[in-house]
Amino acid sequence: MININQVIEDMDLKGNPSKHRIVVAMSGGVDSSVTAALLVEAGFDVVGLTMQLYDHGQALQKKGACCAGSDINDARLVSSKLQIPHYVLNYENLFQDQVMEDFADSYLRGETPIPCVRCNQTVKFIDMLDRAKKLGASAMATGHYIRRRKNTGTPSLYKGIDSSKDQSYFLFATTKSQLEFLRFPLGSLTKKETRSVARKYNLDVAEKPDSQDICFVPDGRYADVVRKLRPGSIDIGDIVDIEGKKLGQHNGIIDFTIGQRKGIGIGGRKGVDDNNSLLYVIALDAKKKQVIVGSKDYLACKKIKITKCNWIIDRPHNKEFKILVKLRNTSNPVVGKIKVDFKTGTSELDFDEPQFGVSTGQAAVFYNTKDHSHVLGGGWITDAPNMLDLNNFINA
Amino acid sequence: MNRQIYLDYNATVPVLEKVKNSLINCMNFGPLNASSVHYYGRKGKNLVEKAKLNIARLVNAKSDNIIFTSSATEAINLVFNNFNTIVVSSIEHLAVLSSSKSNLIIPVNKNGVVDLNAMETLLKKINKNRKEILVSVMWVNNETGVIQPIKEVINIAKKYGCLVHCDAAQALGKIEINLNELEIDFLTLSGHKIGAPSGIGALINNNKFNLTPQILGGGQEKGIRAGTENIFGILGFGEAALIMSEMPKKNDNQVKYLRDYLSNKIKKIRPETIFFGENSDRVSNTLLIALPNIPGDLALMKLDLESFSVSSGSACSSGKISKSHVVSAMGYQDLASNSIRLSFPPNDTILESEGLITTEELDNLAECWLDLK
Repeated sequence: MININQVIEDMDLKGNPSKHRIVVAMSGGVDSSVTAALLVEAGFDVVGLTMQLYDHGQALQKKGACCAGSDINDARLVSSKLQIPHYVLNYENLFQDQVMEDFADSYLRGETPIPCVRCNQTVKFIDMLDRAKKLGASAMATGHYIRRRKNTGTPSLYKGIDSSKDQSYFLFATTKSQLEFLRFPLGSLTKKETRSVARKYNLDVAEKPDSQDICFVPDGRYADVVRKLRPGSIDIGDIVDIEGKKLGQHNGIIDFTIGQRKGIGIGGRKGVDDNNSLLYVIALDAKKKQVIVGSKDYLACKKIKITKCNWIIDRPHNKEFKILVKLRNTSNPVVGKIKVDFKTGTSELDFDEPQFGVSTGQAAVFYNTKDHSHVLGGGWITDAPNMLDLNNFINA
Repeated sequence: MNRQIYLDYNATVPVLEKVKNSLINCMNFGPLNASSVHYYGRKGKNLVEKAKLNIARLVNAKSDNIIFTSSATEAINLVFNNFNTIVVSSIEHLAVLSSSKSNLIIPVNKNGVVDLNAMETLLKKINKNRKEILVSVMWVNNETGVIQPIKEVINIAKKYGCLVHCDAAQALGKIEINLNELEIDFLTLSGHKIGAPSGIGALINNNKFNLTPQILGGGQEKGIRAGTENIFGILGFGEAALIMSEMPKKNDNQVKYLRDYLSNKIKKIRPETIFFGENSDRVSNTLLIALPNIPGDLALMKLDLESFSVSSGSACSSGKISKSHVVSAMGYQDLASNSIRLSFPPNDTILESEGLITTEELDNLAECWLDLK
């Protein structure tokens, strides 16, 4: 069972908990609800804040539906059970400007964006964190499965204990100064433990399913959202092979992701090339409005360019060193050599082994080669040349 | 912990002690369906009629003209559904703005008063080709407390042959309403703004226009609003109205003293504070203020955490706070997300029954205002 003294100790705040106001970012899910419950039991002065990010009625295209989803209501119910003050922050305009517009533009460029990181980076850990400070809080706690540990003077970020729930990929952009103020009480818990705490406190959200999708994308239909945000700017185009031969038509490159195999929709060809190899999406050309398909070999990517790198560690002494990098939330980290330019915040990374299906717009998140759970930082993949690019280079 | 200081009386007034007691008596009495013919039904009917008399007396109307609804919002919807052309002021409550589909708006000036010249110009323009026009201007604005020149509004409206609706939810219990002196076709009221339970509203209809009901059923309220009478709401509304009608005519000295005390204090310690509608004729209990760089929701949260219950902008049922359309309409677009409303009890009678708010508590509130950053 959970040791509440450990929770207090992990909060890393001096003196009696009751003297510290902690703002909990409450989404209405089981994780942030349990975070709040644990901190209440630990004796902190807890205040719940929930972000209203978009009009739910509009997003689901339901006439007369309330602007707020049921999640806000769940957060309120939990707060009232815990007898803590709870407020809703109206971030609709901010979220639209900072996250949704970028999300649409990114897809139009042929990228695969991660709006959750953008949201953490621009809304949650900027505006909400600022609000927490203004409300006199000593810290802001979230329900992320990630650990904050102090080795020397400054805090470091580590993967959550529950590797199946680890959220470090989405938090690579957390700055050192943000980390000073943030706390993640669930980092040392497994999801199972979280649910059992929720049951113990009799929280209504104890059995609520985990959220799977991007919050403003109903049923994973992200392309519908992009079409709604950018009406008229999504053009039909050709699906071509690597020689440029037309194989079919598509309704917009936004419907495709690099590395995608299923549902490409090339009728009659059953998704194979002349050598009977399976066909994958290997490139999206926004200018030519082309989806380029080819065999898996073409997806092989040996190096990537990364921009806007955030380092959660003291500046490494060397400009070149071995690093573990995660290219998608769901994939395992791989080894590579990074070349860092601290001035521009860009890096180049050479993989030890070629990687398949690397997409621009995604994040490259760095881990310590000696301690795989230690998050060093990360950045955005802006260039991921694969064999097709190399091919074109040679032909040119 | 400090005691909670409630300063949101324009949102709702707690149920008054006397109202509570009469409700308990009534609940102990037995079954009360005012539509039944037997002994208990007659008793219920009698209570409804008594409540109507009390409300009629408070606003000097005919009790026969009162139709009970679930809220002022419902009463407004009932009226508005009967008109295609509705002219409204820009500072009306959302109940009016949302149920009017015409988009014919009378602007207000910087002091929060409807622009009568603009109103006349607008009516002149639309009057030519339309038949029935409804003009809707509120008596007292809920955010600023500014009293609208309702007599002049009526005169102009009548000059152009329009019907007049007036939302008097915020006027009731604060200033005198005398329907005998004014040609208002529809007046809407809300019980919980004067110490009745919430869930009861009323329409006072001068019967010059045949309203089509929107809720059909058993023919209650003369067929204009079906559904079993909300007997406890009605009784509570009647009792609260009785208390209001027995008050002395000038009954806001203490309330005004407290409001002005707080206002002056804030002015002194934080002079950059903006006071909305301060130069207008306004009710004595309301204070709408803002600081240039402090979002209203932040001020609200901070004050709430210090045990002061106030309001900001308009809150959705989700708890999300949106900009104040009233502040915007007054020309302060930059401050529309910053306003904080502090509303004291509507009158001295309610202030006394609620337990006094001390100047020391208001000093503390002013200190919190000073600390906002």
